[in-house]
Amino acid sequence: MANVNTRVFFSKTGRAKFISHLDLYGVFQRAVRKAGLPAWYTEGLSPRLYLQFMLPLSLGQEGLREAVDLKLLDEISFEETAKRLSDALPHDIQVIEAAAPVMRNTDISSAEYEISGTIDLNGFREFCERDSITVEKKTKKGVSEIDLKPYISSLEISDKITLRLPAGNDFNINPALLLGAYEREFGKSSGIRIVRTRIFNSSGEVFR
Amino acid sequence: MYRNQETLNKLEGFLLDVEKPARYIGGEPGSVCKDRESVDIRFAFAFPDTYEIGMSHLGMKILYALKNSVPNYWCERCFMPLPDMREKMFENEIELYGLESLDPIKEFDFIGFTIQYEMCYTNILEMLRLAGLPVLASERTALTPIVMGGGPCVCNAEPLADFFDLFAIGEGEELNLEIMRLMEQCKIENRTKAEFLRMASQIEGVYVPSLYDVSYNSDGTVSSVTPKGGTPARVRKRIIHDLDKSFYPENFVVPFVDIVHNRAVEEVMRGCIRGCRFCQAGFIYRPLREKSHETVINQTKTLLKNTGYDEVSLSSLSTSDFTNIEELLCSLNEWTKENRVNLSLPSLRIDRFSERILTEISSVKRSGLTFAPEAGTQRLRDVINKNITESDVLNGAKIAFEGGYSSIKLYFMFGLPTETDEDIIGIYELAKAVVEEFYQNPDRPKGKAPNVSISLSMFIPKPFTPFEFEPQIGEEEINRRIKLLLDARKDRKVSISYSDSKLALLEAVFARGDRRVGKAIYTAWKNGCIMDGWNDYFDFEKWKQAFEECGLSMEFYANRRRGYDEIAPWSMLDMLVSKDFLIEENKRAHRSEPTQNCREKCSGCGVNDCPVHKKD
Repeated sequence: MANVNTRVFFSKTGRAKFISHLDLYGVFQRAVRKAGLPAWYTEGLSPRLYLQFMLPLSLGQEGLREAVDLKLLDEISFEETAKRLSDALPHDIQVIEAAAPVMRNTDISSAEYEISGTIDLNGFREFCERDSITVEKKTKKGVSEIDLKPYISSLEISDKITLRLPAGNDFNINPALLLGAYEREFGKSSGIRIVRTRIFNSSGEVFR
Repeated sequence: MYRNQETLNKLEGFLLDVEKPARYIGGEPGSVCKDRESVDIRFAFAFPDTYEIGMSHLGMKILYALKNSVPNYWCERCFMPLPDMREKMFENEIELYGLESLDPIKEFDFIGFTIQYEMCYTNILEMLRLAGLPVLASERTALTPIVMGGGPCVCNAEPLADFFDLFAIGEGEELNLEIMRLMEQCKIENRTKAEFLRMASQIEGVYVPSLYDVSYNSDGTVSSVTPKGGTPARVRKRIIHDLDKSFYPENFVVPFVDIVHNRAVEEVMRGCIRGCRFCQAGFIYRPLREKSHETVINQTKTLLKNTGYDEVSLSSLSTSDFTNIEELLCSLNEWTKENRVNLSLPSLRIDRFSERILTEISSVKRSGLTFAPEAGTQRLRDVINKNITESDVLNGAKIAFEGGYSSIKLYFMFGLPTETDEDIIGIYELAKAVVEEFYQNPDRPKGKAPNVSISLSMFIPKPFTPFEFEPQIGEEEINRRIKLLLDARKDRKVSISYSDSKLALLEAVFARGDRRVGKAIYTAWKNGCIMDGWNDYFDFEKWKQAFEECGLSMEFYANRRRGYDEIAPWSMLDMLVSKDFLIEENKRAHRSEPTQNCREKCSGCGVNDCPVHKKD
């Protein structure tokens, strides 16, 4: 039986936002074992359960439609996979669906975030409407200055802030970076929730 | 599912600013949440150290699951928060809470500390303070919460007597439920704390320190221990007779963050047949009791299935002494291989180490090996009754090297009774011989050097061992001996690490201290001592000061030879091994006479109903 590539879409909310990306591998690994899924292990000296997370989520942020890939050896329906895995995962991580992957993780190019909490919404809008928003960004090569302004798109402010930022393994802007810049100038806001609602490819289609 | 929303909201506000926040929020798979309204007795199981250490502790897993198996009892966990978290808790006015409900533990009926090592004593005081409770038992006048302690350190609970309401002596499975049942009854009957404690002291295994008066001789030794108001003169430790029938968890709380031992643990036996004379566990956990193979296999499978772990450790004081261990490993192995489970065995005795065990444990993953010869010469190994020979060590090393290992760790104790310079040089020579063994292997990996590391820990004389009478050597002498060993080391393939001698001195003081030592613990904690087991926090000067302030001498407790007829501070406790036996063993030690292990010959240690003895 050939490997069945399976993409699992899941939410990570509530207390699960305190699970780091590094620890999330272990959480899913144990859940796959508990669920008794016929998962594929890497070959070699120390075989490892194959699990590839499509886009890391920062510690403290919630995600409504995150994605992880695994390979299953036997015929098992996507519905069954989703159900068994959801039952085995902690309460605050829920499987939305399992499906065959359509896009590649390199196709990911942006993501939509919702920011809410005790924050001056008008003040934040004005801040985002400035000509440039220069921040320091840590990269693999060190710290560099970057202007966030051209990267903010689809900004909408109602009772919360919705915006899109570049996302992906090559270039990623964390919304905490923008929020941090705002807070440095206007003081710390409280009860902030950052939720990644959707992930998109370069044509603006929802990641599948 | 109940959660304290107010605390949750506060936590949400700052938790991202503390390191590894997942340690402080609960909600892990396997954690038990109940409906608060349907619960009658609430128990906070407190581990006076970090989450990573506490969550690795088997005793907590057993008692947590056991208590929660009773529908109207709810047991939650609680650990020592690190400084960044303590600061945030203070700023946000959050008192120490149970990880399941997030309710403050001072509202619970019990706060039960498991006391695994001496250097966590100040953490206990700090956790009580964080809970918003007076640290002194006499200042906590309400019926609840009752602060209780258990674990190996309570076989001399005296230095902690001022802080605790009661101690649970021995194995907790039956005892804990009996104490909780009594509380259930006392709450219905509107009893006072004094009434509860008096009733509790009638339960076998419960030691209520406030119900005993201690007086002292002019030389500082204990002159008498007097029970008050009909409490038993000696409190007998509790044991579980049949491990096959005893409660064992079917699931663990599986943490989100990595912890010290992040795996399933199957306890295969309790007690130890060996009787190494320095080892407290070898005496206080007697008699030896084993689970049947069938129980071990079933429980292991259940645990792995429910936790999702891919590693299981077969745990005991000396797992290679488990009856027919090789057959057990064989029958487990087929299943573990098929399910990609890594089997690990802690506490391997080098003389019981075989190729077969090695193949069974290394089939999935290969890590370093550790053996514990404990002493450098045969003479000293006979003194401490570590019945292994140099050829056992070398043979074990040979098997390990042939099995593909290239690094071996050797544990030794330092400052053992009767130790001479020759014994110290012997430590290095044994390690050197192990290095040479590597080069005897014709199939050794070419171009690879072996790594033999010597890990030294200071000898701490402990109650209920044949060495409870022995002095610990002084600091200057410790340093001289360490230098002697370091100077003797020529081969760089041998590395040496050793523990802090000042820490060892304090451990020795606490291990055999009396009630007066509690004053020094209190004073040191007031002066800021905390997390003493951690090098970054340990401040010996403050401890010295505290002892001086209290007019107490560390040397009196640590460095003095104690007479056989001296009344020990812990003499109100009966750990089943007899004092006559300990004295006899002490004499044999000084004659360098080993004692046969329990399976070879019963040494008459005083434990009745011993299953090993019965087989004879």
